[in-house]
Amino acid sequence: MNLIDTYVSEVGRHLPKKTRADIEAEIRSILQDMLEERSQKTGKPVDEEMTLEVLKAYGAPEKVAATYLGERYLIGPRLYPIFMLVLRIVLMVTGSLAIIGLGIALSQTLGNSQNAFETILKAIANFAASIITALGNIVLIFAILEWALYRAGGKVEVKGLPKEKEWDPRLLMKISPPNRVKLGEMIAEIIGCFAAIVIFNFYPQIIGFTPSLNGVVESGNWAVGFGNVTFTPLLSETFFHFVPYMTLVWALTIILNIVLLRMGYWTAVTRIFLISLKIISIIIVAAMLAGPSLIAVTTSTLTTAIGDADTARILMIMLTQFVRFALWITIIGNGIEIIRAAYRLATNNVLSITTGKS
Amino acid sequence: MTNESFENVILELRRGVIVLAVLSQLGEQQYGYSLIKRLSESGLEIDQGTLYPLLRRLESQGLLKSDWRIEADRPRRYYVLSDEGRNLLPRLKEEWTGIVSMMDEML
Repeated sequence: MNLIDTYVSEVGRHLPKKTRADIEAEIRSILQDMLEERSQKTGKPVDEEMTLEVLKAYGAPEKVAATYLGERYLIGPRLYPIFMLVLRIVLMVTGSLAIIGLGIALSQTLGNSQNAFETILKAIANFAASIITALGNIVLIFAILEWALYRAGGKVEVKGLPKEKEWDPRLLMKISPPNRVKLGEMIAEIIGCFAAIVIFNFYPQIIGFTPSLNGVVESGNWAVGFGNVTFTPLLSETFFHFVPYMTLVWALTIILNIVLLRMGYWTAVTRIFLISLKIISIIIVAAMLAGPSLIAVTTSTLTTAIGDADTARILMIMLTQFVRFALWITIIGNGIEIIRAAYRLATNNVLSITTGKS
Repeated sequence: MTNESFENVILELRRGVIVLAVLSQLGEQQYGYSLIKRLSESGLEIDQGTLYPLLRRLESQGLLKSDWRIEADRPRRYYVLSDEGRNLLPRLKEEWTGIVSMMDEML
């Protein structure tokens, strides 16, 4: 194999199979033309030195191959915004799950600082591992998508990306800061609602406490199985009567947030939907306040658990007051949300009448 | 403006005319190296790494066609305007004339 052949096959090594032979033949032909011209100019026959000069002038094989390939991306500009969005969502979900997991694991090691330290270290290691795995998977999926788009020759419309002809500058008014959907807020709410649905519907036993063998009250269900101790639920039957209604509100909130994440901005319809959800939430919470106690624990069960009637009585009062306080806070919070959404709804309408239609 | 910036702007300007220059010279068949020399003689120096991939791209767009021929015991690829390229060239020339007069006015 002579120098030209070696050079040409080296260029070919960086080219796709489909076009390799054709480009190789073309480069070989060009190099022979160049050598021929140089030989005529200098009046000398083609030798190794002349070949080396021509190859040097033609350029490094990988650079020559790159000129035939055009710009290649692992994740190109078309997919990059969606890639970043997916990445942020996955990182936030992974982070939230890691924090929830750490919380549960830490509560299992109550009172043991060495175990707690180990648990935190393990949680950090697990979190790092899951982030790397998630990142790797996402990059892999997007790289495959990018490759498929490249193969399709850019004729494929990427779903989720705005099409040029659909672009309407009036959209800018809709996505002005007050109307822009806050990604973190939306995702946090989705995770919160999802966790609430799962916990209250499928794992209600997590919310309660079990007097352990040494007389210390432990929360949650992890002490179940130690001897004859029994699990005492914290929340009453009355509370669980409300769970189906709350589940409906949580599920609708998740749907609303997913729609908002897709749209990227608030509209009058989504704001009205949010206001309706908040009104339903206030009605449910108000019914909770007006109805029988939501707490299953009584002073006597607490006395049995703690062994001191006075402390149990104080704890019971604090618990009852805390529940009432939490319910009122929920009502006030929902009320503020309603006022805020209604205000934005009203001011946006004014905007669209005064500036949008003019 | 530094010398480097000046060179970059000149490069950008030249890049814009390469396609039209190449198409204008391919009314008759040319192989790659002869085309590069012809353009060079007319004053337009084009890097080989730019010209050959460009010829392939124009061919894939249907503006050029090519065929291999054996000459002096070795193959050469000849490029020439396709029917579509021939139809397009006068319109491109017209567009170019428009750009030149517009720029003349502007400058």
